[in-house]
Amino acid sequence: MPQRVVVIGGGAAGIGAAGAAKQTDPGLEVLVFTEYEDAAYSPCGIPYVHGREIESFEELFLQGKEHYEAIGIDIRYETLVISIDLDRREVTVLPRGDLAFDTKRHRELLERVYGEGERVGFDHLVIASGFDYEAPAIPGADLDGLYYVKNIRRAMEWDRVLEEARTAVVQEATPLGLEMVTALAHRGIETHLVDPRPWALADVADPDIMQPVEESWVEMGVKLHLNTQVEAYLGDGRVRAVRTTEGEIPADVVVVCTHKRPNNTLARRARIPIGSTGGIIVDERMATDVPGVWAAGDCAEIPHELARIPLTGLTGSHAYAQGKVAGTNLAGGDRTYQPVYVPWGMVAGTWMIGGASFGETTAKALGIPHVVGIAEGISRARYYPGVRKIRVKLLFDPDEHHLLGGQMVGGEGIKERADFLGMCIRLRARAEDLATMENVYSPPIGALNEPIALAAQQGVAALSGRG
Amino acid sequence: MRPAVWLRRRAEDALLEAAQEEMARRTGRPYRPIHRGPAGFFWRRVFVPIYRLLPWRLRWWVMRVLPGSHRRRWRGRGPPRPAFGDR
Repeated sequence: MPQRVVVIGGGAAGIGAAGAAKQTDPGLEVLVFTEYEDAAYSPCGIPYVHGREIESFEELFLQGKEHYEAIGIDIRYETLVISIDLDRREVTVLPRGDLAFDTKRHRELLERVYGEGERVGFDHLVIASGFDYEAPAIPGADLDGLYYVKNIRRAMEWDRVLEEARTAVVQEATPLGLEMVTALAHRGIETHLVDPRPWALADVADPDIMQPVEESWVEMGVKLHLNTQVEAYLGDGRVRAVRTTEGEIPADVVVVCTHKRPNNTLARRARIPIGSTGGIIVDERMATDVPGVWAAGDCAEIPHELARIPLTGLTGSHAYAQGKVAGTNLAGGDRTYQPVYVPWGMVAGTWMIGGASFGETTAKALGIPHVVGIAEGISRARYYPGVRKIRVKLLFDPDEHHLLGGQMVGGEGIKERADFLGMCIRLRARAEDLATMENVYSPPIGALNEPIALAAQQGVAALSGRG
Repeated sequence: MRPAVWLRRRAEDALLEAAQEEMARRTGRPYRPIHRGPAGFFWRRVFVPIYRLLPWRLRWWVMRVLPGSHRRRWRGRGPPRPAFGDR
């Protein structure tokens, strides 16, 4: 009888694990349980369909359902795993039916209502249960008109709601918040961004990096309400406004973009060890402390290499790679995942922003000593059409001059530079290495001086006391 | 919420807020504390200054003893960073 692998979650981590397990050992029986109607699509693309950059939601699907049938992965759509029994090595599963549970509160309510379900045994279990948005504990949280961007079918419904919407509030300038602000403004909806911090994306990016983004939003007609907290959602059945510390803002739709938190209700109840982030504790093989139980994606925590502290809430590419590692190992293979440096990047307003590892704000928060090198360069030859400015900020260790992190804002080429900086940190590049780096020079794609080298040269000067 | 999760989240919020306050003032942006009241006062005005007074090695030890993936095996890691791990 073949060994059975049960995967909880049909997102990037779950599908990555299922595919890798089947590829490593085609004899395995692989079952994936997902609450949703679909698996294997790009939820990260949803804001761009709302913003009309992508024509339709269908383009976000990577594979059809028949693909997984053909490769022998049994995906049980619209099913809810309500418990894990580690002694009996089985999970309990309910059909989702017509009930919607897009939030943690809905799901927990459903689990309390239904006690029984189908019991499914497993030899290996992969928990890839993803994340939940931090639930705003404020009056009116049960009103209609609060949009949590997650499931593509709901996004399709919300897209029709947005057709009629004239004003929208985006609550919190998280990465998703930035994408949604840009998308809604691009769509012509009067968009208000409300965030309690002094600048957008303040938990990740530095204020000088975000300044051009905020200015571009204002040019696009976005109303910024920084240093402002949402106190209540107002309305009768359906939201019509939000009450903030700075007054009332009318809203046909509120896009709730609060922080992502690991969805670990099941793991916690099964007493699978959880770390200080709320994520499941795993090792480099994505194994939990329980033999035969693996975890990957937003529900697991991964150590940051420099700070040596665990993180959650990374990107889809991290989740997919972690899933592949878990799936390979459970099937008898040998793969390891590395501690992370978190290269990141995105489009916000009319700019691209990105970076790797620490920015100045996060380094200050942790109390990590650093020296900063900043420079402004250009993306192409100065005379070539489409040339854009790039601002690069690099952080170096004052003693050994190693690169600790970097952030950038520019018109193009940010993603590649963020990946490059991530690898430079991993390989322990020093300020002097980057200051003397070679670079591609070709008028349509690269300027004479590479902005990273310019920032590093400034960093070298600062490190030697001349900056 | 488990004590370790609560502690980390509160500490992280307080340290980030303090860093944001400093950066906001440096760049001439207005700043308003998010967490107010006695709890906000404690984390902002007691915890953060004490954290900043501690040597990195001690701070790191506190972070290391919290439960988490960082205490499991991760072969990919290089040797300890002289950058701040040994300060």
